[in-house]
Amino acid sequence: MNQTVKHILIVDDAATVRMYHRAILEEAGYAVTEAVNGVEALEKALDKAGAYDLYLVDVNMPQLDGFGFLRALRAQDGPQAPAIMVSTEAEDGDRRQAFGAGANHYLVKPARPQQLLRSVGLLLGERGERA
Amino acid sequence: MPLIRHEPAVLADRPRASDDLAALSAGLSALAPAERRAAAHALGAWAQSAPALLGALDKETEQSVRSALLGALARVGSEEAVAGLADCLRSEDAWLRNAAIEELRAMPEQVAGVIAHLLADWDRDVRILAVGILDTLRHERVEEWLLQLIDADADVNVCGAALDVLAEVATARAEAPVAALLERFADEPYIAFTGKLVLGRLAREL
Amino acid sequence: MQDATISADDFQRFREYFYRRSGIQFEPSKRYFVDKRLAERIRATGCNGFRDYFAKLRFETSGAEWQALVNEMTVNETYFMREDYQFECLIQSMLPELMAHKRPGEPLRIWVMPSSSGEEAYTIAMFLLERWPHLAERDVEIVSSDIDTRILAQAQAGLYSQRAVHQLPASWLQKYFTREAGGWRICKMLRDAVAFTRVNLNDAAEVAAYRGFDVVFCRNLLIYFDDASRRQAAESFFDVLRPGGFICLGHSESMSRISSLFRIRKFPQAIVYQKPLEGL
Repeated sequence: MNQTVKHILIVDDAATVRMYHRAILEEAGYAVTEAVNGVEALEKALDKAGAYDLYLVDVNMPQLDGFGFLRALRAQDGPQAPAIMVSTEAEDGDRRQAFGAGANHYLVKPARPQQLLRSVGLLLGERGERA
Repeated sequence: MPLIRHEPAVLADRPRASDDLAALSAGLSALAPAERRAAAHALGAWAQSAPALLGALDKETEQSVRSALLGALARVGSEEAVAGLADCLRSEDAWLRNAAIEELRAMPEQVAGVIAHLLADWDRDVRILAVGILDTLRHERVEEWLLQLIDADADVNVCGAALDVLAEVATARAEAPVAALLERFADEPYIAFTGKLVLGRLAREL
Repeated sequence: MQDATISADDFQRFREYFYRRSGIQFEPSKRYFVDKRLAERIRATGCNGFRDYFAKLRFETSGAEWQALVNEMTVNETYFMREDYQFECLIQSMLPELMAHKRPGEPLRIWVMPSSSGEEAYTIAMFLLERWPHLAERDVEIVSSDIDTRILAQAQAGLYSQRAVHQLPASWLQKYFTREAGGWRICKMLRDAVAFTRVNLNDAAEVAAYRGFDVVFCRNLLIYFDDASRRQAAESFFDVLRPGGFICLGHSESMSRISSLFRIRKFPQAIVYQKPLEGL
């Protein structure tokens, strides 16, 4: 059975949050690239079409926030990878706003490893959960 | 000859520096964004222009002008300007909040006067943004402020934000407060991860 | 107590900091490269080991060490054809778009800053002469500026070492340069084609004289600046450009560490930044 490694772009201005998410995802067998804000994320996403299978996006970032990034991303032509938005906000309104901007899932910070992996697994259409 | 060169190079006239504060302030409502930017920029050299700049910031919708207004406020650097920038942390506008933080990060002496207040704000989002100012602030008390914060703050994301900065700036004095924080939030994997990282870096230095 | 060693943790902390500030990521394979240069900076600053040095880098109010550090960590050489994929992008992607919006008779204006010893500006001129089919139809002004008058004089004189010309196609070297005792002299036609001017990018009043440019090349300069100066420079460039104009940074530089005023444009040859067309 051939399984290509899925590549996830982690977008967050906090270094330790990126490290934390990276540790969880790499342990589960995913490849990870980082970006510190929406501008860098957009540059990376545009640079190589289809480079990423999934985006993990923080809301609150300088220059271009998570909403701005997703909207710019979704405005591009071509097939689109799914996105998980991560936010400190837990209200329904925030959730709706995230989906409106183009997020597929929404997690409240700080995300727990199981929640994150479950979301990733579901969005990447993987059977079962990776431990 | 298609590659042409004018001697001297064709440059615009250098704008004459205006000595009329009122005229400059009026320029903040000019029709063309370029004029408003120029007015904002010029006002950055005037110590008393904070009210005009803040007033314009309230109404301005053009991003490039808002940037210029914030930059001008930072150059003015008066108490009123700093208070105005700090107030932006409460704005509904995410871009404005973060852009104001970027300016404040470069103003260590002035920020020292307002940071304690911001770190104790009732709104945890303001507290998180205030920690964001500390993240690159060049002030010797950054660690002290962060340690005070994690001692007292009940919010997991505020403490997480503080730990993120401590990962870069923590010294030996952070050991006990961070260890205490780890115990308080024993159930939070992110806090456990980052706290352990901070302590690990300290241990290897000692 | 002086400790010259840089631990794995030190390396990690340093690379996080450097990545945050510059966008340049040092992979673990670059460990030796980084350690060696860090050790040099620790020595040069008289610091007591990494921790002491990092505190200086992080907290010193002048921020002067950052410049020295970047200088140490990046390749600073200038030479003809450096990062020429951006010039390819100019010819193949940027110019066609710009021309679509130009009125007849309106010149194309390009600003190259810093000029350093002129290699970049002259390379652009050669690209236009050799590779742009529409040059005959359009006047082009190339202005190149620097804060250092000595280097401007050097650029004006146009005399170059073998090293500076080593990436040039042989035919271009043949066509545009003459071998002299001191090196390679670029031809008078090209020396007359570029206007070299002195400007201090951090002086907004000086930069205010530069307006109506279609393309700005500002490569490997802003990375040396502190955050506030970078932001101000980007805002200055915003005013320098016409709506729809482009700005190119160095290949390891990004607007992500600087400003969100510009639109990211992905072309086949490069990612560049554009002042929105609607802006004025």
